[in-house]
Amino acid sequence: MKDNMSRRRFLRECCWGGALGAVGLAAGFAASKAAGKDFVWQIDPFKCISCGNCATYCVLEESAVKCVHKHAMCGYCKLCTGYYEPEPVALDTAAENQLCPTGAIGRKYVEHPYYKYSIDEKLCNGCAKCVKGCSAFGNGSLFLQVRHDRCLNCNECSIAVACPSVAFVRVGVDKPYLIKGQAH
Amino acid sequence: MKKNDILIWVFVGAAVVVGGVAVWLIDGSGDSGSGLGDEFTYDVSEYGKTDAKLVMYQELPERFDTGMKACKAIAVSGKKIYVAGDNMIRVVGGKDIKLSGMPRCLAVGEGGKVFVGVDGHVEVYSGAGKQIGVWDSGGEKALFTSIAVYEDNIFVADAGRRVVVRYDLEGNVVNEIGRKDEKRNISGFVIPSPYFDLAVASDGLLRVVNPGEHRIEAYTFDGDLEFSWGEPGIKIEGFCGCCNPVNFAILGDGSFVTVEKGLVRVKLYDEDGKFSGVVAGVDALVPGGVAKACAFPADCQSGGFDVAVDSDGKIYVLDTRSGVVRYFVRKIEPLINTN
Repeated sequence: MKDNMSRRRFLRECCWGGALGAVGLAAGFAASKAAGKDFVWQIDPFKCISCGNCATYCVLEESAVKCVHKHAMCGYCKLCTGYYEPEPVALDTAAENQLCPTGAIGRKYVEHPYYKYSIDEKLCNGCAKCVKGCSAFGNGSLFLQVRHDRCLNCNECSIAVACPSVAFVRVGVDKPYLIKGQAH
Repeated sequence: MKKNDILIWVFVGAAVVVGGVAVWLIDGSGDSGSGLGDEFTYDVSEYGKTDAKLVMYQELPERFDTGMKACKAIAVSGKKIYVAGDNMIRVVGGKDIKLSGMPRCLAVGEGGKVFVGVDGHVEVYSGAGKQIGVWDSGGEKALFTSIAVYEDNIFVADAGRRVVVRYDLEGNVVNEIGRKDEKRNISGFVIPSPYFDLAVASDGLLRVVNPGEHRIEAYTFDGDLEFSWGEPGIKIEGFCGCCNPVNFAILGDGSFVTVEKGLVRVKLYDEDGKFSGVVAGVDALVPGGVAKACAFPADCQSGGFDVAVDSDGKIYVLDTRSGVVRYFVRKIEPLINTN
């Protein structure tokens, strides 16, 4: 049977095909873009070994990784090993006694003998020195997290590549932080 | 070829070489470390080295493998060793006792009666392993971390409520000890992590660790604070970190055997609290002799070893990381005097 394809019909079907293809491409592009946005990089604090790579391997001049503090886990210790040098001269706020090289941890008296510690993110470079001190002797309430207000969410995160303990993981945007639940 | 052309080729060649070296030196895998200076490095390995002259005990070659995934506490009574963990008590030289939950502490009384702290209540078992009592819970916040039996008194350290509870043998609360009270000059217990130990010394006073204050405090049974000793310090004489010692035991001569976490070390103090020497240092207790604090967060908090002693002065260290009991005996007299 002979198929009488007219020029008009041919053009109409081409237009339909083209339109459907364009819709498909647009949907695929939107889906892939959405999929990329569904996940962000984060550090699993239970895998992190506080190696210091987060401070220097981020593509940003100032690393997007910062120390965070879960106060509910903190012992509010007078002698905080995340705040003080291993052998402090005195338990005061003198720079010589502080562990953090950039002075990014604040210490505030609450009531005897408890003190509250907080991170100044503008000063924190994510070196994890305090994390190591806190984890070694304390409850591990100081730990590193990728701060999403500055992370570029690179497809291939350079810190993730350089992470020796595979602590960098992709997490959903609906839960972008991996906060420790309780004392470990 | 002109002179300028030669120069250009030299420059191009040099650029290629420099570029190649730069690419070769770039470490994208992190293998060469963070590149941060020493001021960004946390290193306490020096403090993990123990002066051999201070070590007064030697470890016996045999060890007891508890076979437990999570062992928490040890007690010694006569020839029997009791290890609590994994919802049970393993009795070396006796029959195991199954428990309703995870134990954190235990003590053995007259006739082999076993008192066990499970979360916030005490369970009592006969010498044959039969449950003969479950005492009322100390409340939602209660977390029992140590028990001591002395005559008709049972003392329980409640880390959750930061107080010592004194019971009679039937499980009735007699009084509470150590609650913050300025009129009695009691500052209260500071317990940042769930380690809070106690024991009764031969002088008839209760000794309780105040870990956040790095000291051992002596109380009468009525709750009067008599005296205390202990200083913070990462050096061998002091108690390191935020909150130590985590556990202790009292030898027959009245001296104290203390255990610290962080830098895991077992040390000896005389009955007045003067440092006498070392039972075992970090280099002897941590696998491979690695004298560093820890690597993974989970490792950091698993160093709360427990300790017990017998009437011969033998020291039993429960290595909670590897689940084994290690034995230490005296080898020399104290070589130092810190006076």
